[in-house]
Amino acid sequence: MAAAAATAASKGNGGGGGRAGAGEASSSRKKKGPGPLATAYLVIYNVVMTAGWLVIAVGLVRAYLAKGSYHSLYYSIEKPLKFFQTGALLEILHCAIGIVPSSVVLTSFQVMSRVFLIWAVTHSVKEVQSEDSVLLFVIAWTITEIIRYSFYTFSLLNHLPYLIKWARYTLFIVLYPMGVSGELLTIYAALPFVRQAGLYSISLPNKYNFSFDYYAFLILIMISYIPIFPQLYFHMIHQRRKILSHTEEHKKFE
Amino acid sequence: LHFKELLGKVEILDAKTREKLCFLDKVEPQATIAEIKNLFTKTHPQWYPARQSLRLDPKGKSLKDEDVLQKLPVGTTATLYFRDLGAQISWVTVFLTEYAGPLFIYLLFYFRVPFIYGHKYDFTSSRHTVVHLACICHSFHYIKRLLETLFVHRFSHGTMPLRNIFKNCTYYWGFAAWMAYYINHPLYTPPTYGAQQVKLALAIFVICQLGNFSIHMALRDLRPAGSKTRKIPYPTKNPFTWLFLLVSCPNYTYEVGSWIGFAIMTQCLPVALFSLVGFTQMTIWAKGKHRSYLKEFRDYPPLRMPIIPFLL
Repeated sequence: MAAAAATAASKGNGGGGGRAGAGEASSSRKKKGPGPLATAYLVIYNVVMTAGWLVIAVGLVRAYLAKGSYHSLYYSIEKPLKFFQTGALLEILHCAIGIVPSSVVLTSFQVMSRVFLIWAVTHSVKEVQSEDSVLLFVIAWTITEIIRYSFYTFSLLNHLPYLIKWARYTLFIVLYPMGVSGELLTIYAALPFVRQAGLYSISLPNKYNFSFDYYAFLILIMISYIPIFPQLYFHMIHQRRKILSHTEEHKKFE
Repeated sequence: LHFKELLGKVEILDAKTREKLCFLDKVEPQATIAEIKNLFTKTHPQWYPARQSLRLDPKGKSLKDEDVLQKLPVGTTATLYFRDLGAQISWVTVFLTEYAGPLFIYLLFYFRVPFIYGHKYDFTSSRHTVVHLACICHSFHYIKRLLETLFVHRFSHGTMPLRNIFKNCTYYWGFAAWMAYYINHPLYTPPTYGAQQVKLALAIFVICQLGNFSIHMALRDLRPAGSKTRKIPYPTKNPFTWLFLLVSCPNYTYEVGSWIGFAIMTQCLPVALFSLVGFTQMTIWAKGKHRSYLKEFRDYPPLRMPIIPFLL
C-alpha cells in the first residue's frame, strides 16, 4: 500500500509541461507551474532523491555479491533507507506550500505509511529486520522511487523520455503487489514480538484513563490494506490507459 | 418588454447530458423555483424537489427556491439545467439520529451491560461519584440537543445528502462509545485533584451549556418562523449572549467549553481528543460562517473573530 500509494497519489513533485501525473490527461491548456526558484529547488530535491535511492540499490547489490545470499541485506542499507524515506516528508510540505499540485492529504497518507513501516515496524521490532519480507518491500520501493523521482526530474526540465513515463506507469503492475506483500508479511512477522514486549501499548488503570493496544492496531492496519490496495491499484491501471494511450498526441507537442 | 401579462415557458435540461427532460408550458412569470420544482416532480416523480438542483448554467450555482422566474435573466423560454443531488434526508432526522445514539450508547456502558467489561462487573455500579456525575452531564447534553432540534432550531436547508447520516453517526456514536468505555470502566481512575477539580469542571460545563442554549435561543429569535432571512446576531439582555460582541459563533465557543469542562471532570484522554476534533470542525464552520457574514453585511462588527475572542 505504501508502495502503490507512492505511484498513485502524487501527481507532482514538480512538472511544468509534460505532466502526466495521477490526474491530468491531455491538457493543451498549460497550468501555471511553480516559479523558477521553486522549480530549481524541486529539480535539486528530485535529483538528490533519485541519487539516494540509487545508493540504496547499489548498496543492496554490493551486499548481495559480498555475502553470497539475499538474506539479511537490510542491515547494509538501513541508514540510507531511513534517511531518504524519511526525507520524503518534505513532499508533504511541497504540497502544503503549493509548489507541487498534489493533495496534501493524499501525499501525507502515502509518505506516512512508508515512514510508519520503516520506523514503527522495521526499526522498532528488531527481530523482523532479518526477515526476507523486508527485502521484498525494500526492492519494490527502491525501483519505484528511482523511476518516480527521475520522472519528476525530467518532467520539471520539460524533457521526459518516453521510457521513464512507460516505466512509471507499467512496472507498478508487478512492483505494487510485491511491495504490499513485503509490507504485510513484515507487519505479520512483527506481531508476536509486539505482543510479547507490550510494545507501544498502554493499559488500564492509569491517570488519563486511556489504553492503546499496538498489537490490535497493527492488525487493523493490515485489514485496512483490503479496501485500500485495490482502489489504488485500479486507479493506477486506469491512469496507465489514459496516459500511455495519449502519448501519440503528446509527442506532437514535445 | 412586459412579461407580466405573458405566461412563460420553461425547459429543463440535464446539466451533464443536455438531454431535454421536461418542457413546461404556461408558467406564471411570478412562479418561484420551488413551484417549478414541484411541476418537474410531476413528470419525474423519482426526483422529489429536495433532490433537485436547478441552475441557469450547467456549472453554475443552484437557484434558490424563493427565486422568481420573472426576475431571472432568461428569455421567453427559460432554460434551466437540472442536477440530481442524490437521495436526501431531512436535517431533523439526521440530528435526532446522531444525538439519540450517544445518549443511549453511553448508558449501555454506564449500566455495564454484559459483554463490555468482564462478567463479574455486569450491571455493577462505579464507586466514584464523578462517574455518576459524568453520566448525568453527558446525558443532559444530548437530551438538550434533542430538544433543541425538535423545538428550537430553524433550519435554512430542509435536507442534506443521505450519505451524511452514515458519516455523522459513525463520528458521534463511535466517540461516545470510546469515551463511555473508559469513564465507566471498573479500572477508571478519578481526577488527580479530586473534588476541587470536579467542581471547577462542572461549573465550566454548566456555564457553557447555559451559554450554548442562550445563543441557540437568540439565533432562533433572529429569524421568524418559516422564513429564511439572515440578520447579524447581536447581544441581548441575557449576559451569555454578550459573547456576540467578540465572536461570530459563540454557540461553538460554548460547545467547545462544555467539552473541555467534561474532559477536566473525567480526566479522560479520549474526551480531550473528542474535544480537539470537535474544536477543529467547529472552527472550520465558524470561519465559513464568519466569512459569509462579512460578505453579506457591509456593517459587520470588525472586532468579532469567528470562534475564539481575539485569536481565531
